[in-house]
Amino acid sequence: MRSHAIAVVLLALALLSGPAHADKMLMTRVPMKADIAIEYLKSAIEEYGYAVAHVQMCDSGMKGFGLESDVYRVVFFGKIDEVRRIVAKHPGFAAYLPLKIAVVAERGETVMSAVNPRTFDAYYPKDREMKIQFGRWRNDILDIFDEVYRAAGGKVARRLPSNTP
Amino acid sequence: MKTTQLLLAGLSLFIAGQALALPDGRALYIQNCNACHQFQGAGGIGLPLNAAKFRDYSDDYLFKTIRNGRPGRIMPAFQEMSDAQVKAIVTFLRKRTDTKPRAYDPSALAGDPTHGRKLFEKHCQRCHGADGQGRGEGTGVTLSRKRAFLVMPPAIANPGFQAAASDRLIQQVIRVGRPQSGMPSFARLGLKDQDTADLVAWIRKLGKRVAKRPRIAPDEPPSHVVESPYDFDTTVANVKQALVGANFRIFPDRYLEQGLTDEFSVNQRQIGIRFCNFNKLYDMLKIEPRLGVVLPCRITIMERANGKVLLVVPNLKVVASWFNNDQLLALWKRMEDTFNDIIDEVTL
Repeated sequence: MRSHAIAVVLLALALLSGPAHADKMLMTRVPMKADIAIEYLKSAIEEYGYAVAHVQMCDSGMKGFGLESDVYRVVFFGKIDEVRRIVAKHPGFAAYLPLKIAVVAERGETVMSAVNPRTFDAYYPKDREMKIQFGRWRNDILDIFDEVYRAAGGKVARRLPSNTP
Repeated sequence: MKTTQLLLAGLSLFIAGQALALPDGRALYIQNCNACHQFQGAGGIGLPLNAAKFRDYSDDYLFKTIRNGRPGRIMPAFQEMSDAQVKAIVTFLRKRTDTKPRAYDPSALAGDPTHGRKLFEKHCQRCHGADGQGRGEGTGVTLSRKRAFLVMPPAIANPGFQAAASDRLIQQVIRVGRPQSGMPSFARLGLKDQDTADLVAWIRKLGKRVAKRPRIAPDEPPSHVVESPYDFDTTVANVKQALVGANFRIFPDRYLEQGLTDEFSVNQRQIGIRFCNFNKLYDMLKIEPRLGVVLPCRITIMERANGKVLLVVPNLKVVASWFNNDQLLALWKRMEDTFNDIIDEVTL
């Protein structure tokens, strides 16, 4: 009876660990112009409890070098308590804080990309708190992407939890 | 006991339901493919996925392409998906392109690679490169940068392509060409079946010549932390001086915590010196449009509670590995050397 129960639970877990973004990047494309999408992105970031630290404009400086996108921005965001806690413990991680999302316009649509925070799991194998933090950031970024996608009129599919980076 | 049995029965029913439910190919496409290939398959960072191409593909080719990706050419390997999920994406793509899979005899073609090489040099290498790794910079059709090609010529020597494409699929593509992306039909140019078989034999040889991709050492840290022998203000001044000397444009300083809390609470002994060389940046952006996720270049300087001053820079070896883009690696190496020189100069 007990082994049956364990088998059922293991099978359930296996079925629930669904698709993941296979890459070390998290990405989305929203059918919406970038200047509007970026506003939705900023509100979604704030809805999830983060502060938008600033928005870096990359396009203006690069126009002269042939960049053809009308919008190329990087949105920096974070939570002050997380940043302080992590930098105190792992000063090296300051190189990747605040978190960021790159926003690029493409043919009237908008592509958003972020480094998958779970990419960092491998570098802190003994720090459970960091592992949890990376997982939380990953889920938040994907949810934020879904919010923007939904705002653009897209139907968001149910995202199954994943234990893969 | 009865409750446990009921719970287990319920859970079993739920599992059976999950197992029987077919994966939703459209939803999986949106989650995993749409960002690069665009919903209608117009392409972007990724190549276009249109009916003209799909008519020549077998489902096995599409399945293996999704599963193994293209190592070093941005397209990741979707190893975590189940076979049913990959098949659901293939089914969705078939429906969207209104195409039927083409079946190919899986046996290898008998061709003469020496003759194939001559034909390849004459007809193919201008776009696909002498090594079959594809000419031009970047992949896909992204319009955010000027391009030498309308659509990037595929890297036909890439191990992902070599594993996915059967000999006869490659032969068919050579025969009919890709008129939409500028590849002519070689049947129309007069190449016979034996010529195309010879070309396939040479393409297979090119696939065997591809060097193994460099792997980063498992002990590479995600960033470099270097202690400065100088006080905080002197270190900040030294970093700026070294950056100007290396032809970087420096942006206004930003505290690490700036914008995350009110201005009176910001720790002013943690500062990010942000810098850029637009020329170099654009070279990189041409081949990796997602580069913004690590922009702008930054050296963080922080004074710790014990008075030590630390310089923190991302480990560019690690950063470069995130993009699955081998063209970026070569340019990145030069950037890494520059970073190292700057840190050496600052801490001398």
